[in-house]
Amino acid sequence: MPEFFINRQPVHAEPGQTVMQAALAAGHYIPYFCWHPNLSVAGNCRICIVEVEDSKGGTWMDIACNMPVDEGMRVLTDSEGVTKRRKEILQMILLNHPVDCGICDKAGECSLQDYHYEYNGERPVSFDPKVQATKFHPLSERIVLDNERCILCSRCVRFTNEVSGTHSLGIQHRGDHSLIRASEDGAFGSDPYSDNVIDICPVGALLSRNFLYKSRVWYLKATPSICPGCERGCNVDIWHRRSEWKLNALDPRQNASIDRVTPRENPAVNGPWICNKGRDLAAIFERPRAERAMLKGTPVELPLAIDAARALIASARRPVALVSSWASNEELAAFKSTLANRFACFVKSDWTPQPGERVEDDVLIKPDKNPNAKAARALFGAAPIAFPDGTDLVLVWGEGFSFTQLPRGASVIYLNSYLQPENGHADVFLPLSIQTERRGRYTNFEGTVSNFEPCFGKKATVADAEPLFAALATHEAIA
Amino acid sequence: MPGRQLLMNFPVTATSHTLADYRARGGYATLKRVLKTMKPEDVTKEVTASGLLGHGGAAFPVGRKWAVIKLNDGQPHFLCCNADEGEPGTFKDRWILENAPHLLLESMLIASYALQVRNAFVYMRGEFDLPNRRLQAAIEEAYDAGYFGASIPGTDFICDIFLYRGAGSYVCGEASGLLTSIEGKKGYPRNRPPRLTVRGLYQKPTVVNNVETLANITGIIRDGAEAFRKVGLPKSPGTQLVSISGHVVRPGVYEVEHGYPLMKLLNEDCGGMLGGRALKALIPGGISTKVLTGADCAELTYDHATFDKAGSSLGSGGMIAIADGTCMVRLLQVMLRFWHHESCGQCTPCREGMGWMHRIIDRIVAGQGRMEDIERLVAISDANDGTTICGMGDAAGYATVGFIAKFRDEFEYFIQHKRSRCGGVLEVARPAEVAHA
Repeated sequence: MPEFFINRQPVHAEPGQTVMQAALAAGHYIPYFCWHPNLSVAGNCRICIVEVEDSKGGTWMDIACNMPVDEGMRVLTDSEGVTKRRKEILQMILLNHPVDCGICDKAGECSLQDYHYEYNGERPVSFDPKVQATKFHPLSERIVLDNERCILCSRCVRFTNEVSGTHSLGIQHRGDHSLIRASEDGAFGSDPYSDNVIDICPVGALLSRNFLYKSRVWYLKATPSICPGCERGCNVDIWHRRSEWKLNALDPRQNASIDRVTPRENPAVNGPWICNKGRDLAAIFERPRAERAMLKGTPVELPLAIDAARALIASARRPVALVSSWASNEELAAFKSTLANRFACFVKSDWTPQPGERVEDDVLIKPDKNPNAKAARALFGAAPIAFPDGTDLVLVWGEGFSFTQLPRGASVIYLNSYLQPENGHADVFLPLSIQTERRGRYTNFEGTVSNFEPCFGKKATVADAEPLFAALATHEAIA
Repeated sequence: MPGRQLLMNFPVTATSHTLADYRARGGYATLKRVLKTMKPEDVTKEVTASGLLGHGGAAFPVGRKWAVIKLNDGQPHFLCCNADEGEPGTFKDRWILENAPHLLLESMLIASYALQVRNAFVYMRGEFDLPNRRLQAAIEEAYDAGYFGASIPGTDFICDIFLYRGAGSYVCGEASGLLTSIEGKKGYPRNRPPRLTVRGLYQKPTVVNNVETLANITGIIRDGAEAFRKVGLPKSPGTQLVSISGHVVRPGVYEVEHGYPLMKLLNEDCGGMLGGRALKALIPGGISTKVLTGADCAELTYDHATFDKAGSSLGSGGMIAIADGTCMVRLLQVMLRFWHHESCGQCTPCREGMGWMHRIIDRIVAGQGRMEDIERLVAISDANDGTTICGMGDAAGYATVGFIAKFRDEFEYFIQHKRSRCGGVLEVARPAEVAHA
């Protein structure tokens, strides 16, 4: 392991590391725009410039992101020379940047903003007009580009070349008139990972159309969660309005809605990326909800419905349970320990690939579109759903099962979260809470367990599955 | 002619560029001798011993560049001839490509043998028409004659050559930008390390040499390093093709032996300044080299050491003579417009700095300059010094600083009086034009 010095302090580096990697790992911060730990080195922003003292008492400067560590090297990250260069480079970057932070979605989480306060902090020195470029250029149906804010770090270009593999972004023209543009074949529009470029953009040039002008980021809270879109189980942050910033003037739904979803870095699962389906979790979680328990389509109070379900279970001779593959590890364990021995249990696939959806690739997307199928199968077996002769009760847990497949004459207890026609056809319908309203864990296809936290409170008329199973198995009232 | 000739040593006729004429001058005999009697490392040793310096502008010792290539290391090596002659004022490679294409090809074959290159490339400037046709024809002749594409009888050496035409970008003349362009990407220069001799074209060890540099190889191997060193000076052996433009009576390409007196070159070989004017300034080797005043030039001899001492360099040999009465502010404006136009836009200081300097000088020329603009130009140049990926940002900065250091009073005059002290003149009428008028 080579040892070298940063600001006269000894630092250990792994063989093959650059000064940037070793410095960040050792807690010495070096600013960067174009460098990204998961992308190749471009070395074009030049903000990571550092000074190196040579053995003859002189110094030389170069960028840390492309500087291999040499044994005994003496690097200075905040010398007078480095400070001066950083300032100059920030002034250059800001030269044609509109500095419209007041209306920029990135404000509050923008590297340029942070570095300006940290390393420059001065008024612009140029009084010449700024270069004008395209505003609101539609790169795809999901992303707009503000070319004036763009600092041409080329992270987005490298992302489509190296991660998503669509090679769909490039730089047109040259000099200070360079423009990021999408290829004309529309490959960027069909890139299922395109929205990652919004996160990796160090400034507010690449903007999500879904999130455009929706909220300032400091009004939002990021709750750790898991994308249920496939068995990869990508770790995500769900951003929603902070409770202290709740506005009564807002539509109450806006105070309790998913404003955006971003990846939460987990090298064991998804790295720093997620696919576009994960960005659109609102499309899954904000469907109309089933909020009332029902007996054969007639709304009733929850305890009454639980009593009815309990009676059906008690009188059944050959009951079958279809277990949800969207249930958390805790819920599956609760079902196993309370009710499973009364039922013949089968794991049900709640979601199947939608038309036009990418089923599988070698980046992140996996073919099974349920987040916890592995854990469910581990507890309840992988046998395909089959109703034994004489099945007189079916407990259906979760969506995705057509009632036309039910055995003739069997009663149905249906546990679901969303408003669906089947709800009214069940003998007993029990509404369940959803992932954003509770905490739990999923086990992904590789066996990696991740956890999710509640973002919003649940309605009193809706049950959490764990206490519900306890209530069905015993005679206790639901908590 | 200014001194002894190594390249322009044959009469240019209508057929002197063809294979038949080249063979009649002894062409391709050196190649055959090299293949039969020399080992690759001997060729490199001979080139190192000759002390040949690169003619592209940086004057890097050719032998040292070649020595980095490890022979028999199990990976392909590439040789690229940089024929993207785009430095303003420079048109000397064009002479070789038009008149001695086979000399270049023979040299490239010898270099390919020395560096164990199977595929060699020529990156040709997009605007070149005749040079392109001449070189293409020469390549076809050489293929037909069996020098390329098949093993040369009695040896197992095979080499193929690819002529690649650029699209006219200045930065594609920078070695790594050139390679990126050959790879089919946007011609962005690359960060070092790694050096191109370690990971160059297609990430393999690559030598990029200028046309004139390569053209010297055949002569060095034919006559030996000793003979080559006898021409020129010990520290600057050989000659330099100098393309002289500007306000001289006889502009053109001259082969100048290192050590030749500069004023003799301008006054005798080039016929002196137009209209008998005094030499106001000299850009010695393409606009990226620092400008010299007429007084600076008086005692100079044409070689690396004296030009370095004078604070400039020989650069690419693209010499621009500037007569008295020329407006240096407007000249710098032309240069900055060029750099702004040609900055690739990859790295921040050059992308933003070139445009900024161009806008400032435009404003000065429009009569809206402020005194602080001069310091701003110097500061922007300084911010480009050593902070950019390739040398273009540095070069533009050096040149700008050079102009301001030598002709500061003209800039101040322009800003104060909102007009040029020299009437904004860039052109000096040629005698013939005077006669027409």
